[in-house]
Amino acid sequence: MALLELEKLSVCVEGKRIIEEASMVVEPSEVHVVMGPNGSGKSTLLSAIMGLKNTSICGGRILLEGRDITSLPSYERAKLGVSLAHQQPPEIKGVKLREVASAMIKKYGCSDCMILAKTLLVDNFMNRDLFVGFSGGEKKRTELFLVMLQKPKLAMLDEPDSGVDVESIDLIARSIESLRSRGTSVILVTHIGAITERLSRIDKVHLLIQGRIVYTGSPDEVLPVVMKFGYRKGLEILTGKGERIEH
Amino acid sequence: MNTSEIEKALEKPAPYGPDIDLSKYKLEEAVVEEARDIDPGVASAAPRVGLEAGKLMYVQANERALYTAMAKALSKYGVLVLPTREALEKIPKARELSWRLVNPARDKYTAAAYLYGGEVGYFIYVPPRTKVPVPVYTCLAITTNNTIQFAHNVVYVDEEAEANLVTGCAIPHGVKEGVHVGISEFYVARNAKLTFTMVHAWADGLHVRPRTVVKVEEGGEYVNYYVTYSPVASIQTYPVVYLEKNAKAYLASIIASSKTGVYDIGASSILEEPGASAENISRVVARDESSVYARAEIEALESNTKGHIECLGLLLSPRAFISSIPIITSRKQGAVLSHEAAIGLIAQREIDYLMSRGFTEDEAKAVLVRGFMNIDAPIPPTIKKQVDQILDMVAKHAVG
Repeated sequence: MALLELEKLSVCVEGKRIIEEASMVVEPSEVHVVMGPNGSGKSTLLSAIMGLKNTSICGGRILLEGRDITSLPSYERAKLGVSLAHQQPPEIKGVKLREVASAMIKKYGCSDCMILAKTLLVDNFMNRDLFVGFSGGEKKRTELFLVMLQKPKLAMLDEPDSGVDVESIDLIARSIESLRSRGTSVILVTHIGAITERLSRIDKVHLLIQGRIVYTGSPDEVLPVVMKFGYRKGLEILTGKGERIEH
Repeated sequence: MNTSEIEKALEKPAPYGPDIDLSKYKLEEAVVEEARDIDPGVASAAPRVGLEAGKLMYVQANERALYTAMAKALSKYGVLVLPTREALEKIPKARELSWRLVNPARDKYTAAAYLYGGEVGYFIYVPPRTKVPVPVYTCLAITTNNTIQFAHNVVYVDEEAEANLVTGCAIPHGVKEGVHVGISEFYVARNAKLTFTMVHAWADGLHVRPRTVVKVEEGGEYVNYYVTYSPVASIQTYPVVYLEKNAKAYLASIIASSKTGVYDIGASSILEEPGASAENISRVVARDESSVYARAEIEALESNTKGHIECLGLLLSPRAFISSIPIITSRKQGAVLSHEAAIGLIAQREIDYLMSRGFTEDEAKAVLVRGFMNIDAPIPPTIKKQVDQILDMVAKHAVG
């Protein structure tokens, strides 16, 4: 059974349709990459799968292991194994990272959380207010740490490689590998592709343009074209409307 | 002291807070005795304010002031903890300090405490250069209905000494109405430090009128950490701290209001001499139909002084009310005073974020309210731990 199925999912934000009939099937332990230009709806798609309140489903269904979760609140989805590393998590004054992490460990259990914290270099800011004054890399690593504490079946990572240094990208890539090795499926949103080069395995790449998944293919097929020609011209090439390139 | 002036003040309402007719409440006879066992009413009220009955050094149930064995244990350090009435009989220093900072004619509550209070309450003296190794725990409880409780507390921390005082004021379950009038006169001598943590847990029908004045001498430090989280009919307090040269004050109030209670809570710092500094911080979480007036005032009488006020409020109900009233007054060039005040709702984005981590909406709100109340106050770790436990309870209470 597929871990996640999106069936013609349409997503609205403040009454406006941002995602149009997106379909996707993610099997256990697969790594999917969603790429697209700025404003194409990548974050909205992940928010809708997570069930964040700034989005509403205006068509289609979301199935997790065959169960319709379309109308479940986000905390129920989290308990079922859906997690999201937010692109821009909110700065929460007064709430320490340690407090949130401890509460999550109580909820989800964790045998290696301190190792995780050390690996992701977040152990030094456990006593800091959540995301307040964090650098870009600190925010991304903390988000990944919190995602990993959830022991998710599905980890959705929203641009974990944007605004971070090379060391952090390596660390994040290793964490994604670690997630996958634990049986977690990953949906990785990126629009620069820096992280894709560091992953040993990617199962599918989806191109999301103007709210539609316009192309799905293997990484060997899609990534070189997009990296070289960009999204629009790359799409023309992939769909046979433009020139082909040799791999 | 002019008695007729004080008698006249029995009719004088306080400038803030609802006026209370004290004649409606019964006053028990003031008694001082040695506690063989902690009064059961106090024992059941103490945990509501984070106190363990066995650690209490002074206990007051209504107008009964009780010595405890724990207080005697501190005498080996020269520290005195005893009922004020007893202290006034035996200790000249207590007589010298009593009613020196608080004017009995200030309002009807101070006048009634002076004339009818029977001088129960605690007297604490810490000798010079003595660092009291354990917090001094005291508990004042109203254990019968429709009763008025007066307490007159006098604390003197002598030069270069340090003490941590924790006072809980509470009622056991079942007591619904009453009045608590607490007079506190605190002296922090040269280079001494006093940390005073006070937790209030009352009930819907209780009126509370603390009257506190603190004098901090040169180089001294006073930290006040006040938490109130229960329903109350009304509470009105406006402690005043006078700071001499290079003296410091940190006054923090955490107010979780509920039901139809009126919470009029302020703090005033007077920077009397150069180098004095004060921070007045408050966090208000208002729910139900409660009304909160968060007042804070810093007045600089000299240059090279510094003061900051921070009043932040969270409205958890459309029918609750918060009014934040910061006042800064400078009478000399070279004083640096600032204030920051903000009232808002819990940010929906923060709730959504935590929900995406698996927290229910109520759990997320409790985490955020708890975080909102986190203040990095300079209090000792042992007391911080206790306060944290109380704030955990406050956060749960605040979101219902």
